[in-house]
Amino acid sequence: MAEEEVAAEVEAVEAVYGEDCVVLNPFPPHLKVHIKPRTADVSSQQFVEATIGIQANSKYPDEPPIVTIVDSKGLDEQRQNHLITSIRDRAAELSSCLMLVALCEEAVEKLSSMNHPDGDCPLCLYPLLVEEEGSTSMPFMKLMSCFHCFHCECIIRWYSWLQTRKEVDHDNTAGRHEDEDNKGQCPVCRKVFLPKDIEHVLHLAGTSDFSSVENDVVDEEDILLSNSEKERRQKFEAILKLQQENSGLIEPKRHEVLLPGVYLPRPAPTPAAISDKEAKDQQSENAAENSGTTPGGSSNRPSTSKHRNFPAKKHYRGRGRNPGKNASKWTPKESGAAS
Amino acid sequence: MTSPSPSARKGLSKIACNRLQKELVEWQVNPPAGFKHKVTDNLQRWVIEVNGAPGTLYANETYQLQVDFPEHYPMEAPQVIFLPPAPLHPHIYSNGHICLDILYDSWSPAMTVSSICISILSMLSSSTVKQRPADNDRYVKNCRNGRSPKETRWWFHDDKV
Repeated sequence: MAEEEVAAEVEAVEAVYGEDCVVLNPFPPHLKVHIKPRTADVSSQQFVEATIGIQANSKYPDEPPIVTIVDSKGLDEQRQNHLITSIRDRAAELSSCLMLVALCEEAVEKLSSMNHPDGDCPLCLYPLLVEEEGSTSMPFMKLMSCFHCFHCECIIRWYSWLQTRKEVDHDNTAGRHEDEDNKGQCPVCRKVFLPKDIEHVLHLAGTSDFSSVENDVVDEEDILLSNSEKERRQKFEAILKLQQENSGLIEPKRHEVLLPGVYLPRPAPTPAAISDKEAKDQQSENAAENSGTTPGGSSNRPSTSKHRNFPAKKHYRGRGRNPGKNASKWTPKESGAAS
Repeated sequence: MTSPSPSARKGLSKIACNRLQKELVEWQVNPPAGFKHKVTDNLQRWVIEVNGAPGTLYANETYQLQVDFPEHYPMEAPQVIFLPPAPLHPHIYSNGHICLDILYDSWSPAMTVSSICISILSMLSSSTVKQRPADNDRYVKNCRNGRSPKETRWWFHDDKV
């Protein structure tokens, strides 16, 4: 077959795949084509991709080209083999026809049929996709940079945990890099990901979005540190003292600070996604601590979670690792290092 | 070192429980070579027998690893120590504490007990000399109150062993 016809076919592949097609040699044709499944260009719904190499010799198309997988994401060995075998079978079928476009189309077809994550969620170890009929699988997602897939809930839990820990570290180590802040790391390959990489699935996991959670933190710190809060505590202590002196009897009207509403807590922040048992312990502990000074007051301000509650923050490391100990027994890590 | 560590006293969260049950099943189907899980009814503390790999300094030797899982496993790393007698190794202290980054700073929730075991066996296998870490006595003295190795500020500087 004429060289021009082959050259025209290479141009056709270039026209179809645009930037995804790299022509290493026009004749005999040698191309690299980046193949994606058909997902109507919704990249977050693309769980697999592959770059295939197609190298023909001067006898093409009488001899089929050599097809290889140069690079792939989201495909284990078995699925890679499946892909390459089906392309080679197609090449054998089309022997002595111009087949470059057809081979690429075959790859797209196969990738589209395999466009789902494979195996288990690396975090909970349960299957990402349950293929049995009638059973519902949990929503899953992929990290955009590395294509590692997780249940939405699992990766969000990990991300929140990382952020929590960073907040704690932040207290202990001044001068951390600000820009490292909202980043997470892929649990599988440690590739950095950004909050935006998981934002699109937040609603699937039933969590409020992070910005509002973070705002809660700030709000609460502000409230607990604010001057009005200090004043309020001072006033209350004065009242309490008076109350004790008067054997528990005080006349409300004589003390402006006891007017209705004065002690009402601010609207409760939404409980955070990770309100765990420990948080509840903390809460009741706080309630106990505070009840001496502010009955019905700050004791019912929920501490959304241990680390978001400012007074508890300094105790976090100790509490987190030695939950059985009292916070007061906590001592800082030894600075002496071991190797 | 055999007394329950403070971090292990708090019960496992539901997520941790599910995950550990899954790991246990997987272990039973496909245990890492050279390891044997000693069966107990305690999901939160695993005791695992390690056999030194053939052809290494620890061939034909058996040690015991104790793995305690925190409430929020696998977000938090488990505490992994050798029960006495701990193998003589440049990164293993005589109290059983193991200097291995993945158990502390480099922990990832995608790791499993099985993958930890393989890392530890690999660490043992690549050792060329049976000796304690240089700072063994100082470190062990500092840990006398039964401190968990997770409280240690580790420096990881040796990637050869």
